[in-house]
Parts: sequence; structure tokens; C-alpha cells
Amino acid sequence: MISRKLCERVLAAAASTGADYAELFAEKTFNRSVNMLDDRVQTVGDNVVAGAGIRVFKGLRSVAASTVDTSEQGLIRCALQAAQALGEGKAEISIVLKERRFGDIHPVKLVPGSESLARKAEILKSAYFAARKADDAIVQVDASLLDVDHNILVANSDGIYAEDRQIRTRLYVTAVADKGQGTQTGSAGPGARKGLEFFEEDVNPEDTGREAARQALVMAGAGYCPAGVMPVVIDNGFGGVIFHEACGHSLEASAVAYGISQFAGKLGQQIAGEKVSAVDDGTIPNAWGSINFDDEGTPSQRNVLIENGILKGYMIDKFGGRRMGMAPTGNARRQNYSFVTTSRMTNTFILAGEDENEDIISSVEYGLYAKDMGGGSVNPATGGFNFAVKEGYMIRNGKICEPVRGASLVGTGSEILMKIDMVGRNLRRAQGMCGSSSGSIPTDVGQPMIRVSSITVGGR
Amino acid sequence: MRYEEFKKLVVQAAEKAGLTDYELYYSASESTEIDTFRQEINKFSSSAEGGVCFRALVNGQMGYASTEDLSEEEAEAVVARARENAAVLESAEEQFLGEAGGEYEAFEKKDYPLPETDEMIRAALHGQELAYAADPRVTDGTSTVVMRMKETVAIFNSRGLDLSAENQAALCYIAAVVKDGEEMNDEYKLKAGPVCEWKQEELAEKAVKAALAKLGGRPAPTGSYPVVFAPDAMSALLMTFSPAFSAEAAQKGLSSLAGREGTKIASDCVTLVDDPFHKDSLMPMPFDAEGTPTHRKNVIENGTLTTLLHNLKTAKVAGVPSTGNASKSGYAGSVQISPFSFVLAPGEITEEELLAKAGNGVYIDTLNGTHAGADAISGDFSLQSLGFMIENGKKTYPVKDFTVAGNFFELLRHVEAVADNAEMESFGRTSFGSPSVLVSGLSIAGE
Repeated sequence: MISRKLCERVLAAAASTGADYAELFAEKTFNRSVNMLDDRVQTVGDNVVAGAGIRVFKGLRSVAASTVDTSEQGLIRCALQAAQALGEGKAEISIVLKERRFGDIHPVKLVPGSESLARKAEILKSAYFAARKADDAIVQVDASLLDVDHNILVANSDGIYAEDRQIRTRLYVTAVADKGQGTQTGSAGPGARKGLEFFEEDVNPEDTGREAARQALVMAGAGYCPAGVMPVVIDNGFGGVIFHEACGHSLEASAVAYGISQFAGKLGQQIAGEKVSAVDDGTIPNAWGSINFDDEGTPSQRNVLIENGILKGYMIDKFGGRRMGMAPTGNARRQNYSFVTTSRMTNTFILAGEDENEDIISSVEYGLYAKDMGGGSVNPATGGFNFAVKEGYMIRNGKICEPVRGASLVGTGSEILMKIDMVGRNLRRAQGMCGSSSGSIPTDVGQPMIRVSSITVGGR
Repeated sequence: MRYEEFKKLVVQAAEKAGLTDYELYYSASESTEIDTFRQEINKFSSSAEGGVCFRALVNGQMGYASTEDLSEEEAEAVVARARENAAVLESAEEQFLGEAGGEYEAFEKKDYPLPETDEMIRAALHGQELAYAADPRVTDGTSTVVMRMKETVAIFNSRGLDLSAENQAALCYIAAVVKDGEEMNDEYKLKAGPVCEWKQEELAEKAVKAALAKLGGRPAPTGSYPVVFAPDAMSALLMTFSPAFSAEAAQKGLSSLAGREGTKIASDCVTLVDDPFHKDSLMPMPFDAEGTPTHRKNVIENGTLTTLLHNLKTAKVAGVPSTGNASKSGYAGSVQISPFSFVLAPGEITEEELLAKAGNGVYIDTLNGTHAGADAISGDFSLQSLGFMIENGKKTYPVKDFTVAGNFFELLRHVEAVADNAEMESFGRTSFGSPSVLVSGLSIAGE
């Protein structure tokens, strides 16, 4: 993309006013999407993102600049702009880059950019019509097939010069059902760091369509969830969003380094129920949130966050690590060159425990079973979070009963983690897009079935 | 390569490919942001980004291709890709490009010089000093952020449309974090405009005061109450449910407002305005993403839905003129529909009088997770909230960790009164604003 020699010149310009670290991130990304609505292929999205971001640090100060002009002149201009913003001074570091080959543990067979649009439309249609034809009560379906070919180059004054090609594919189906008591939606969105072979090896597109329809149909027949404080059983897969929001974001250096996290300064202390162990693991082959190395050139790794309820580690980028006095953990990520890299999650999930699913359900006299969760958000400073329950059922006398709509779960991360008192065996991960200051990035959430002994359920 | 040059190459490539109906949409932005930690500048970032979207009619289908790479090869490539992409499309709808000759409203634009970097640094440090000085409980994580930005949008098409607009803005926000024992809380306040209008002292004091006011919050008691939504909270609801006002959503069966034009959908005191030239908008625009002239209109007038928001395509289907609400999120992507500044018109009573009217209820000033806990199609919401109890017509103790649940469309019919304290929040090109409103009977789930 950009030669090693040119990177050296750019970094030298960036560090010319006394930076103690300089970094160049360049990318060329091909985003494509095919969308269906009203039984027809309606839009094809096709966008090339290309540009570069330069960062310099001096002590605890960071300067970032980005440009769409990746010619030598454009890059040098951007580097000098960053250098100037850092202040006045003389160069203090020398730049010598060595090519690094981190390897690629995420093999791709059918590169989406080389496959025909007709083939993609065929996959999309089989998912779309499986949802559309599931039942007469399905009144609308919105389905998209997305693929991203994200080519990045990272060069920095630690000597790294490395390139990676991140190919991801995702199918997303939303079904709308109406049984005469208002419309309800259901959705399913499997994805992977793979090409179109994903739909041959892992996911049958028709299953995705049927799953979206099934959920919409269940919820269209559901009454409102009663409000109150009660035990909640959260199932696997996207249920893991609870951990992502209630804990994950507060373990990112961007919150911890500045003291705006309820888990700052708590390493080695118990922050969760004893049955809870959780990791952030960017090294899972072909997983949606996996990376070979992060956007600062640090190799991805498996980070143990919580072990038997004890806080073991944080997710750290280089700049946050400076203030914390800790090494980076391979979690520095950005949506693209125009965002400023910070600490983010990769694939972050609660590990399997030893409780049986039946025992977890039968332990609840009156409560909520959240089979699938929607999105949520958290305020790291207070730990206050909220999640929408996408598919919920009441539990009475240890049995799963009628479905309920409109439920949400609210609380504070530090409180809820301590209340996880049962952890099942059926660990499964699910895909999501996580939004934060460095943009929207692909991450996996996940967990086995868990029980939270009491949580505020919003409903009416 | 600059846009003007790239435009010429694209036109050549399009003509060479035999295309007769095509359009090039360009947007670019530049921004600089300064962030602080304790009494230091800890982050400085400047970004420049921008790209083009080329679209063309090929056998009745509209093919799109976008790029940020404004090179000679890419000028030909976007034209080729748009043609390829059009080949798999099956849309049954008529496709449109904007026509030249529209009359664009002249509007009063708030022009002011953007601050230089030095001035921004001074303001950021000053904001921090003020925030820390406001109360001893102000702690780490408190930050003053100062930004300046510029945006350019241009549309050129084969029908003779050739438009461009520029906007620029500067703003300051102060996020105060306060700590009392183990309990932490945060709140931010923002002010856009020239530096001399930021009134940082007031901004810092307001942010700190708001953060402190929430300390010691406890869950609200579960039940059904009258609720007063403060301006920020009501604006968040308007933002969340604004997709329901899109004629496209209505025509596709994805809006509860389909076919409701001319009927009563809200109580008499509700008037909702879409204003492309609102005085507090960061991005006032004389034309929309299809080049149609924009104008101010009432979307709900005294409770009656007067119009949905249209682009050229939905307007043709409905047999009405476009309302000038075609939108694009960034340069890439297809044309959709959104409001410019969606503002609930203020009423005549003060917020105090509104609280007195509520009697006993809940005052909600923060709604979280609107992207997750709300369904724009059905109108159902169940949202994590922060606020205060209202007892005997006065705000009393702070409440947190509770949800407010209901249905937006029912809520519109149950607005009992609207106060006179309108405020607006800007989210880039679209802004939402509202005064405080009193709504009868919503479900609160706390303890």
C-alpha cells in the first residue's frame, strides 16, 4: 500500500517536533451490501474508503490527524500538521521500520469482491423468502448481505511495519409480523471473518430467515411484560450483550485510565459472582470480532478479564496503557482512518460453567426468561446500563410460560455482575456492531445461559 | 485530486458509457477537536474526510457506487461499478433525479469566524479550570472538549442541477464527573456558536450542578404516574421515533402513521415543526439530498398530522410534491428521508406551572438506550431513565435505575401540557428540540 521507506519518511516528519511515539495507519476498504425489501432487490451499496491517520504521543499527550490524500505529499503534510500541533521541539527518536509478518489465522476461501453480485443476490433471496413465506402474519421483511474487505497498514516508531486484510461477511434479516395487535419485529444476523464460504460451511441462509420470522411471530402474539424487580434467566448467544455493556466497556482503558470506571483500581478483587469467568479473545479463527494484530500493530491475544469472579485484566491500547503503566493487550481499534484509535473489545464473552439449563429455569419461581436480547448501552462512569429484551417469556413455578413484549433490563454493572449466581454450559457467541468513540467495529458477544438473582425489569 | 477535476472525469466517463441520467453527490468535512484531562490538553485530533457517490439510471434501475479515492482510475471505476450494481436490482419503483430550476429560500445564516487552534486550547483549559473550581467533588474524567468543523455538500446531475452549500460551526462542551464517597455521576452541557457566546462559566456551573443533583439517587417506586419529560428527554423521544414520519416507511408498511394524514394523532397542544433553517441548527440547508428546495413546515399542527416527510420517489407515489426531506447519511448510501430540525413548538406556561399541574409524578431528564429499548414501527418503548420525583408539584429527590415504558403514538395523544422552555440538541445534520412536556399515565418500573 505505502512503501516502508515512505512510511519512515512520514513517521520522521511526524516525530520531528519531539514526539516519543509516531504511528501511521493507512487503509483501503471495500464495503458492499445488497438489500431486499418488498420481495425485490432494492439497493446495492458499494463504497471505497481510503485514507490515512497519523498519531504522535509525547508523554501523556496525544495528537491525531487524518487525511484522504495518501500521496507522499499528502501524508507528509498530515504528519507535519500533527507534529506542529504537538508543539515545538527537536526530533528525539529515530525511525527504523522492519517488516513484520504476523500471519493470518483467518483463512478466506471465497473472496466476496471476486464473487458475482448474482451469487450474493441468490444467498440473500433464499434468506429473504424463507422469512417472507414462514407465515401469513409476516407483513414485511428487510434483508441485507454485507461484506467488507478492510486492508490496513500499520507502521510505528516501535519498528512495526505490517499489513493485514480483514474480510468479513454478514447476513442480516429483520422480519415484521402483525397478528392484529400491533407489529413486532424479529431479527437474526450471523456473521464471520470469512468470505461467502460462510454460507456453505456454517450458516444456511434459509435458517437465518426462518429464525427472524419465528421471533417476530412469537412477539406479535405476546402481551406486555409486567414491570418489577425479579430474577432473570438470560440465554446464550446475544444474551452476552449484558456482559459487553455492564462490564466490558468499563474494562476498557479509555474508561479505566481516567478513573471513570467502577472497576478502576480493582484488579485482584472480586467483582462478579464466583461462577463467572470471562475473556476477551481476538484470536478465535474466523470469528467476527477477531484480528491478527490491532490497529496499533500489537498482536491480538486472549485476555482473561475475570476468573471465578476475580478481576484479572483490562483491555488496553498504547495511549491508555501509558497512564495506567500497563502494556497494551491487542485491543486498539478504530472504525477507519478518520477515527482516533482507542481500547475496544474483540470477541468478549462469559465462559461456560457447570449448571444445567433445566436446573437454572426450574430454580425460578417467578421471573423473566430472556431468550434473546436486543442492543443496550452503558455509562462507564456510573455503570448504569440498559438492554432491550428481544424475545422474552415469563417463568412461573420453574416453567417457561407465555411470551412477553416490551421488556428491558436496567441496573448497574457492578451490582448485576455480583448477582450472577448460576452459569450454564451452552456457551455460544453472536455477532454485533459496537459503537464508541473510535467508531463502529465488529465484535462478538457471548455467554452460556446465566441467572441473575434479581434485576429491574422495565415493562408495563 | 480535487472534486472539481474529478467531476469532469466522471462526466466524461458517464458520457462515454452512454449514460444519459446520472448524478454525482459530494460531501467533505474537516474538523478539529481538543480534549482535556485534569488541567492538561491530552488529545488533539484533526480529521479531513470526504467522498463522492455516483448514481445512474440503467434500464430503469438506479445503480450506486461511492468512493473516497478521487483518482483518475477511480473516476472510471465508479461509473463502471454503478452500472454493474444496477444490473442486479429489481425495484418496481420509478426512480428519480432532481430537476434544475427550483427556487431556493434565502435564509439568515449565522456566519462567524472559527477559532484558531491557540484560542481553542485556551478555551479548553479555561473550561477545565472553571469545572474543577465549581465544586470540590468534581473529579477525574471531567473534560472540556472544544471543536470546530466545516462541511461542504455539492450535487451535480445530467438534468442541469449544480448546487453546493457550506456550513461551519464551533462548539464547546463540558462533561463534569463528580464523586461523593463511592458514588459517581456525570452530566454534560454543550454550546455551539462563536467562542464569545460559549459562556463557559455558566456551562461549567450548569454541568457540575446537574451532575451533583443526581447524587444519592434511588430507584423510583414502581407504578403509573404523570411524567414530565425535560427538553433533552423529549428531544430523545422525537429522535427515536422520527423514522415513523417518513413517507417511505409508511409506504413500505413500516410506520404506524401510514394513511393518517389529515387526522388527529396527538392532543391539541402538540405542534411539531420541521425547520431546515432553524437558528440553532448546526447545518442549515437550502436544498435536500436530491437538490429539492427545502422549507419550514408543520408536520403536526394542533394535534393533526398535516404531512409525512417526502423525497421525490415517495411524493410521486403519494401524488404530492416532495417536502424536500431527501437525506443521505454521509456521501455514500442511497437516498432516504429524514427531518432537518424536528422541533416541538413551545406552549405558554412555565416549567414550574407544568410541575404544579403534574402534582405527583416523575420528572425525566435523561433517557438512555433509545437505540435498543424502542421500536420505531410499533411505537413501544421501555427506556432506562434518570430524573427526579415530583411531589406536590415540586421536584424533590433524584431517581435512577428505573425505566419508563409506553407507546410513543399513545403518548402523543396524552400530552396534557407543553411548557415554554424550548431547547435543542444537534446531531450533525439533523437536530431535535422540545420544551418540557407533561404526559399522563406512563409506567415506571423501579422498586
